[in-house]
Amino acid sequence: MSLQIQSNFNNEGNQWEIKAIGDVDISTAPKLRECLDAALQEKKANIVLHLEDLDYIDSTGLGVIIGTMGKMKEDNKQIILVNPKDNIKKLLSITNLDRILCPKI
Amino acid sequence: MTDVLKFSVPGKPEYIGTIRLAVSSLANCAGFDIEAVEDIKVAVSEACSNVVCHGKPNREECYEVACEIGKERITISVIDRAGGYDMSKYQNPTMDNPKEGGLGIFIIKALMDEVDIFSELGMGTSIKMVKYLNRL
Repeated sequence: MSLQIQSNFNNEGNQWEIKAIGDVDISTAPKLRECLDAALQEKKANIVLHLEDLDYIDSTGLGVIIGTMGKMKEDNKQIILVNPKDNIKKLLSITNLDRILCPKI
Repeated sequence: MTDVLKFSVPGKPEYIGTIRLAVSSLANCAGFDIEAVEDIKVAVSEACSNVVCHGKPNREECYEVACEIGKERITISVIDRAGGYDMSKYQNPTMDNPKEGGLGIFIIKALMDEVDIFSELGMGTSIKMVKYLNRL
């Protein structure tokens, strides 16, 4: 029941590459929010959130991503999610968030 | 024969993961497949998060998670005395204008076969969720 986050700025693609590992729920969602906020504070750029090692996310985690997406819109930037596992894909699909957050699914 | 297991949980975020694991284990033992176990896990976690997020700040008070394991189904009730809310003000989320909150109940209803929510302002809320075995 933990969350690890690896955050790197990709100079070539001019975007953040952020990897979430573990679980995002009500107890770890603040850590995800802090990390996304810190990245945008350092450099306003698009964010690619890599989910291949994310085992679980709930509405509080999705809420953090929606909140970040809203903040980024003001600067014409976007956040996209890549490689979600099937259980997370299902959640993104029932909430219709896949349409706005997962262009590659 | 129906077995009932009850957990009394302090209203703190750090215990929701434990409940999630316990309920997943119960559902797995009851014969649900991996996808159904995942649905039950997410729904219970959302119901617990609802208590912790929207309840009154007195987090010392416990809420109850009761799991009833029947032959053909599992029924999980999450019951709190965290102040309740006005159900008529609940709105389904829309993706034209996604918001940070309000997704939890929507997700629970999408994942479980039956969901009943009772809330009394000033008192508390009860979310009863049922998942049937072998229902497509």
